[in-house]
Amino acid sequence: MIPMPPRWMLFTGVLAALALAVPPFVIARVRATPDPNRAVHIFFDMDFQPKFKPQTVNPLFADGRSQRPAVLGTVARGEDNLDTHLNDGVVNGAWAETLPAGLEMTREFLERGQQRYNIHCSVCHGYAGYGDGTVNKRAMELMSSSEGPANGTSWVQAKSLHDPVVREHRLGMLYNVATNGIRNMAGYGTQIDLNDRWAIAAYVKALQLSQNASMQDVPPELRDNLKKEVK
Amino acid sequence: MSRFLFPRWSNLLLPTIILAAATIPVYAIFFVAYGLSPKTLEVGYQPEQPVPFSHALHAGELGMDCRYCHTSVEKAAHASVPATQTCMNCHTQIRPESPKLAKLKDSYATGLPVEWTRIHKLPDFAFFDHSAHVNRGVGCVECHGRVDKMEVVYQKSPLSMGWCLECHRNPDSVLRPTGEITNLAFDAATELSAEERKALKDKFHINPSEDCSTCHR
Repeated sequence: MIPMPPRWMLFTGVLAALALAVPPFVIARVRATPDPNRAVHIFFDMDFQPKFKPQTVNPLFADGRSQRPAVLGTVARGEDNLDTHLNDGVVNGAWAETLPAGLEMTREFLERGQQRYNIHCSVCHGYAGYGDGTVNKRAMELMSSSEGPANGTSWVQAKSLHDPVVREHRLGMLYNVATNGIRNMAGYGTQIDLNDRWAIAAYVKALQLSQNASMQDVPPELRDNLKKEVK
Repeated sequence: MSRFLFPRWSNLLLPTIILAAATIPVYAIFFVAYGLSPKTLEVGYQPEQPVPFSHALHAGELGMDCRYCHTSVEKAAHASVPATQTCMNCHTQIRPESPKLAKLKDSYATGLPVEWTRIHKLPDFAFFDHSAHVNRGVGCVECHGRVDKMEVVYQKSPLSMGWCLECHRNPDSVLRPTGEITNLAFDAATELSAEERKALKDKFHINPSEDCSTCHR
């Protein structure tokens, strides 16, 4: 029989060995569960430098923004926005029917417009422009809820871009609506770049043509192909 | 006074010390590598936001494109958090009286921003450019995970240097066509063959640098 050490010593030893088994469990649990608090920084290195990055806080200003909004009544260089065709879609007091100088109606331009339309417009107007986007559908469901529109919802069915009135809109007006909004629709001037808004207007025109076309609009050599596809 | 004699059981100390000397360093290495790894400390950060915005509803159920709100992601290093106006494009009419939107309403009235809590934060000595990645075939999902399934967004990736280098050393594995950039359900690894991904790498001229100065500039 090996002589054993005193009991208190054995006890402490076993306890210490058991204590070593705790951290792995804690770590595994931390890994598996989300945490509402950011990890504690022990070594700061240069993780947090005294500089301002986009959308950070600067306590020197009353509103706390590090990105300063333009001072009211000032005009940034190159942003006088005085070209009515380019900025408002208006030529000689009437809606422009052409693209402003510098933009060209190319396939690439229309494809850009399609991509931007699908990002920003399709949510309400739908991919094909019939006013059946997902946000519109959900809002209409809220409106027809049996307990009345929830939380003050007051939605008006998004316009179909193939509505006879909308089909008559000139290119410049479509651009202007995308920029400044109309009726219940908010303006997207700050959300979408200027060139992209023109591209969207051009794409909407193409979309309208595509949904209201007759066989006469198809080049003769492609008509057979189309007939096959439709069947 | 008698002489001190080691008790007989002290012979056991030697094997005990050898055992401890062999296991404790291994344990310490494991503890640091596993316990202090960014995968433990950084991943899973899920702060409560001032407005309980659900990406699962907006990006998932409604299928809104990431770029509807995060407009600067293709043009700038920083993928911007949207202005209150972006929310109010719809929420002036959809549930404007909801108590969940109270802070949004305040922000719209006062012009002061909603103070969203930033989740993904690189150390200030690391440079990262969103536009360089999303315009050349790296989709949102590669780093941010299935945000369209997150009711409350959490950090999916460790954002550690080793993690960045994983892709920089093997970019083929994460490339997708530019049209699928914001399609979070698109899995480049299963939907594209190795040849297709190699072709994308050539198309985008991807030759990611592993130099220190690429990110620490």
